[in-house]
Amino acid sequence: MKKYFSLFLALALVLMMFAGCGGSPEPAAPAAPAETPADGSTAPAETPAPAGEKLKVANVVNGNLGDKSFFDSCEAGLSQLAADGIIEYKTFELGPTDADQPKWLSTLEELSADGSYDLIVCGTYQMPDYLTQVATNYPDQKYLIYDSAVDLPNVVCVNYKQNDMGYLVGTAAALATSSDLPNMNPEKVIGFVGGENGPVINDFLVGYIQGAQAADPDVKIDTQYVGNFYDTGAAKELANVMIGQNKCDIVWGVAGGAGNGAAEAANELKAWFIGVDSDQEATFSIAQPELAAVTLFSGLKNIGDSIIWVINEQLAGNTHYGETLNLGISEGGVSLATGGNFQTLPDDIKKAVEDATTKITSGEIVVDTAFGDNAADVEAIREGARP
Amino acid sequence: MLENILGIIFSIPFAFSILRITTPILFAALAAVVADRAGVTNIGLEGIMMISALTGVIFSAWTQSAGVGLLCAMVIGMLVALMIGFFALILKTDIILAGIAVNMLGSGGTILFMYLASGDRGYSANLASKVMPSIDIPLIKDIPVLGQILSGHNVLTYVALLCVFLVWVLLYKTPLGLQIRSVGENPNAADSVGVSVNRISFIALGISGVLAGLGGAFMSMGYMSSFNTNMTAGRGFIALAAEAMGRGEPLGTFLTSLLFGFADALANNLQSLGFPAELVKMTPYVFTIVGLAVYAASTMNKAKKIRHHSKTKKAGAAQAGA
Repeated sequence: MKKYFSLFLALALVLMMFAGCGGSPEPAAPAAPAETPADGSTAPAETPAPAGEKLKVANVVNGNLGDKSFFDSCEAGLSQLAADGIIEYKTFELGPTDADQPKWLSTLEELSADGSYDLIVCGTYQMPDYLTQVATNYPDQKYLIYDSAVDLPNVVCVNYKQNDMGYLVGTAAALATSSDLPNMNPEKVIGFVGGENGPVINDFLVGYIQGAQAADPDVKIDTQYVGNFYDTGAAKELANVMIGQNKCDIVWGVAGGAGNGAAEAANELKAWFIGVDSDQEATFSIAQPELAAVTLFSGLKNIGDSIIWVINEQLAGNTHYGETLNLGISEGGVSLATGGNFQTLPDDIKKAVEDATTKITSGEIVVDTAFGDNAADVEAIREGARP
Repeated sequence: MLENILGIIFSIPFAFSILRITTPILFAALAAVVADRAGVTNIGLEGIMMISALTGVIFSAWTQSAGVGLLCAMVIGMLVALMIGFFALILKTDIILAGIAVNMLGSGGTILFMYLASGDRGYSANLASKVMPSIDIPLIKDIPVLGQILSGHNVLTYVALLCVFLVWVLLYKTPLGLQIRSVGENPNAADSVGVSVNRISFIALGISGVLAGLGGAFMSMGYMSSFNTNMTAGRGFIALAAEAMGRGEPLGTFLTSLLFGFADALANNLQSLGFPAELVKMTPYVFTIVGLAVYAASTMNKAKKIRHHSKTKKAGAAQAGA
């Protein structure tokens, strides 16, 4: 048994050597033009790949596809690029739990060592440490990380201004809670069920609070965190407390798959739910129409579109490695899903959302963020807004 | 602040939520009781719950009947538990490893099966599944406060409460229960009087699987109305702790499960009072440690008392003798 195993290992090693030989010319080719800017010439830094030679992309998912939002959005973007004949890609699903975490680093490491991919894509706030480690070891490999940032010359970071999106959601929710829509109570309280108390989720939150209180200073926001992104039961209990005891009539679920629990609570206790990342009303309408009916609208994070944009930029010769791109409303990084129930909102709410959109785009409104050097004091904002 | 907390604890929605939160834990904890008393530790409860939760959703969507979905969830739960038994008792693998394997299957395998059944992977968006109904209990529902707390739950919550009694009857009032306990306490002795140890262990595991299957079905067909991956979120492990704290007694396990339900419900409310989320998440575990410490202290006290008692008796006897 042991003999066969060692034989197998030896075989695998030999194969890997061959694979390495076969792959090496490819990354070498783009490496040469990359040196040209050092000469001072501003000539096209990178020649677009010749026709027929597609960009090879590895999509590392530190969760599972099928979330109908976050990872699926990225996958949809890549699959569209593949359908357009621009790239060929392979997706590696690694699972979300603690038990799966060791695979995240090792897969990044293996794909980088393999060297046959022109670009390795990954995302979420959970990956930067792993990516920093691997990308430092493989300076010639190119990486893209979305919804998080890593400061290395071979990594392009795509961030979304979820605070801008939060501002729009907050604006609409604050006006809706005192509107005469069905199931709205007289109290001006709205809820926020977050996944984890971390910068990305809090970026949604600070925008939400700012937008809500700008629209109506009397509105209070009840914030609670599930502690993960999969415990729907816990999310439901938190939303139950918000709606039942704390008088919320609208709850925004920003907790990945767990957010569905908040929608269930809204359905049972006759309140409203707001979705996130994808158009959740559309998703619910397939098999759970009762949940679609209580979903007022959704805040969208257009990950797929942003990845298409970055790759097209690269093919046009504009690489952004070493940069962090912050995609807001005007860049199409975030938006609101305005179909379905959103259309039943009173016109003044729709108009307020439009106004806020133009003001954010023009820079008249600057939304607080939970990121970077200018990070707002999240705790003070959150506790100050509590009912 | 304390006033606020007390106000919440003595509110009706809070008491109502305790029973709802306790239900899945109680099912799994009772499953652990039955298996443990037969000497087979079923550590695969989490995985069984997950597999059953998915099974219930798939079959209730296909047949458009919640009852059929529930039945299938129970049957699959039993089959998976028997599979643990097959590996552990027949093929002689370590039962803990077999249980861990089932937990991994529950986490990863459910994604595969959901994909095969519906094309979904993260959450059962394409499966129009059914849920078990909530019921009002006649008479009880008219009692002022108590009625609002006890009535109107999902039917599976009442099944869970009934199961506490049924498991107690099974263990203490039936010949099978006697055999289960004897096999658990001393398999060699049981064997020597003609009890088939393997047969009893298999039966206990099967019952344990059915109970865990009910817990899983509650997650996706009562608590929620759909399945999503990892939705049991550690409840199968909390149940193992509840069983250990309840010393394997049905009633004791019921009380410790309630304690976990209480701690969880309290945690949900503390956040909205401004306690940090991370601190609040510890509540159930703090309860476990405190509970175990109190239990250990009281047993030690009892042991001391008995020793003291027997000493004074001896001394008394010696004096009488003198």
